[in-house]
Amino acid sequence: MARYILRRSGYMLVTMIFVAVIGFLIIELPPGSYLEFEIARLRQLGGDMAPEQIRALEVRYGVHDPIYLKFWKWFSGFVRGDFGRSFEHRLPVSELLWQRLGFTVLISVLTMIFSWVVSIIVGVYSATHRYTIPDYAITVLQFIGLSVPNFLLALVLMVFAQQVLGMEVGGLFSGAYRNAPWSLAKFIDLLKHLWIPILVIGASGTAWLSRVMRGNLLDVLNMQYVQTARAKGLSERTVIWKHAVRNALHPLVMVLGMSLPGIISGETVVAIVLNMPTTGPLYFRALLQQDMYLAVTFLMFLAVLLLIGNLFADILLAWLDPRIRFE
Amino acid sequence: MAKQAGSSTTPEGLVVRVRDLHVYFFTDLGVSRALNGVSLDIPAGKVTGVVGESGCGKSVTALSIMRLVPHPGRITKGEILLYREREKQNGHSIVEEVNLTDLDPQGPVIRSIRGAELAMIFQEPMTSLNPSYTIGDQIMEAILLHQQCTRKEAEERAVDILARAGMPNPQTVVRRYPHELSGGMRQRAMIAMALSCTPSVLFADEPTTALDVTTEAQILDLMRELQAAMGMAIVFITHNLGVVAQMCDTVAVMYLGRVVEQAPVEPLFYDPQHPYTRALLRSIPHVGSRTKARLQPIRGVVPDPYATIEGCPFHPRCDYRKPGLCDVRVPATTQVGENHTVRCFLYTEQGEDNG
Repeated sequence: MARYILRRSGYMLVTMIFVAVIGFLIIELPPGSYLEFEIARLRQLGGDMAPEQIRALEVRYGVHDPIYLKFWKWFSGFVRGDFGRSFEHRLPVSELLWQRLGFTVLISVLTMIFSWVVSIIVGVYSATHRYTIPDYAITVLQFIGLSVPNFLLALVLMVFAQQVLGMEVGGLFSGAYRNAPWSLAKFIDLLKHLWIPILVIGASGTAWLSRVMRGNLLDVLNMQYVQTARAKGLSERTVIWKHAVRNALHPLVMVLGMSLPGIISGETVVAIVLNMPTTGPLYFRALLQQDMYLAVTFLMFLAVLLLIGNLFADILLAWLDPRIRFE
Repeated sequence: MAKQAGSSTTPEGLVVRVRDLHVYFFTDLGVSRALNGVSLDIPAGKVTGVVGESGCGKSVTALSIMRLVPHPGRITKGEILLYREREKQNGHSIVEEVNLTDLDPQGPVIRSIRGAELAMIFQEPMTSLNPSYTIGDQIMEAILLHQQCTRKEAEERAVDILARAGMPNPQTVVRRYPHELSGGMRQRAMIAMALSCTPSVLFADEPTTALDVTTEAQILDLMRELQAAMGMAIVFITHNLGVVAQMCDTVAVMYLGRVVEQAPVEPLFYDPQHPYTRALLRSIPHVGSRTKARLQPIRGVVPDPYATIEGCPFHPRCDYRKPGLCDVRVPATTQVGENHTVRCFLYTEQGEDNG
């Protein structure tokens, strides 16, 4: 197993280098550079720039370096944690990211836990109560969850929270706590605001996962070994949870591997609607503004998370199912 | 050889008695009458063969006795009596009669019987073990459920029963997963699991159909051997008459959800009474038969289970049918010899009106 993980990590490294090359090409691909926009902006502000000044800037940013040198500068910096500068924000990319990463990871992880717990419970319930009224009701809810766009759900919930619950919506804190130092009251205020994004972001995923769980469990319940377990005299609860559910979790674990990048990019639109201090909107703006170092840093992070997620999912699958244990 | 287990303790030497059992499947396509009045006696400590064509209700009969009829099937009529031997304090044992049809199919009483007194092995050894747990875990699960012992004791028993089931290296096999074993080994593991709590009846639903002939012979030998040693009754479900002749003490022949003839193995093969049994025996080849006579298939096909047939279910295919009788009424079960019963109007005038 350890050897397997090591080998997989090796492959991951190679893949990352490919991703880096492609990412770098994306930075270089658009005509012009941010420098030209910057010069244009300065001109607009009234100040003209001397050709020497421009040339100095070009030398400083290595605009005319050969492409492999540019790549090496960028890549070696990246590995050391220097992701370049965001032109738009006039800050190092790393600083921008770390500011927002905490809340992003918090919300994403909570959402994942929420949607896993709910979808396993709901999926098991509707599979074991197939074609009953609660199952039909759940099915309707699942299709609503799948088909209603998240931002709409976000808006509806915001109105509901404000009109009915009298909450101050948007963001993760009430105005009074936004810039206050951490305290118990601030934490409670955070919890009060967290449920809306978790519910909104988790809705469609939960609907989909619980559908998958239901279908899969129905297949597994037809397997002979479920009958064997019943023939042993086990209670229905043990038969379902110990013998059936464990063999129905595979697709959920596979999805887990793919949903890891969602931790930083996840549900950008919802984050914008809910005005959340997460990384999604930052990524979105970086793409719009051709803020390339910021955008590519995101791209690299997404790729790394995808690879780690897949490795994690494979390890989890091996733990779950002895038939796919390696070596 | 294994008579001491039953005959002296239960009134008729029976461990299970099934009377007029009806099991219907209520599907979207209509009602499928899987069992239409099955009456079957399972003698204690003997091997009872249940034979019949596919779809005649062999497996459903076994599942009904286990109370494991899958949805949307239901027992609609009839009773299943289990005679359990209960040890009294003064050393005498009494026989207690339990009507299994009265029990909640998921309730605690039937669950204490399942696995402990009634055990079952299935046709497909490849899929009847859970791929996610080791062989040892799965056998120990049954032992820990029905017997009071520690995990360590349970593991020792699991190794022990695997060894008795002829499993090579039982100490290592308990830590193996099902996919690491061959089909024959898995069926041995299944047998070990089923016998781990020394049941009084073992239902074997075509346990060798999925195995190759050599492995089949080994498994059959093993079952016969374990039956002699442990004294349980075996209900051997098969469509292979050769296996029946080799394995069974008594045989029940089923046709369309009814037992049409039940007899000890020799009278059944040498002196079959029911036209269906006779036709069945004529349709199999005999080793060493010199004549170049063609095999005689049974005329017609099995009607589909959604159809209702008035009278005896076999009459449309029967060479001896009496118009006005066989197509109107169902013959009653008639005694024609020692432990030999048959349901046919050739032997009785008595009928039942339900169809």
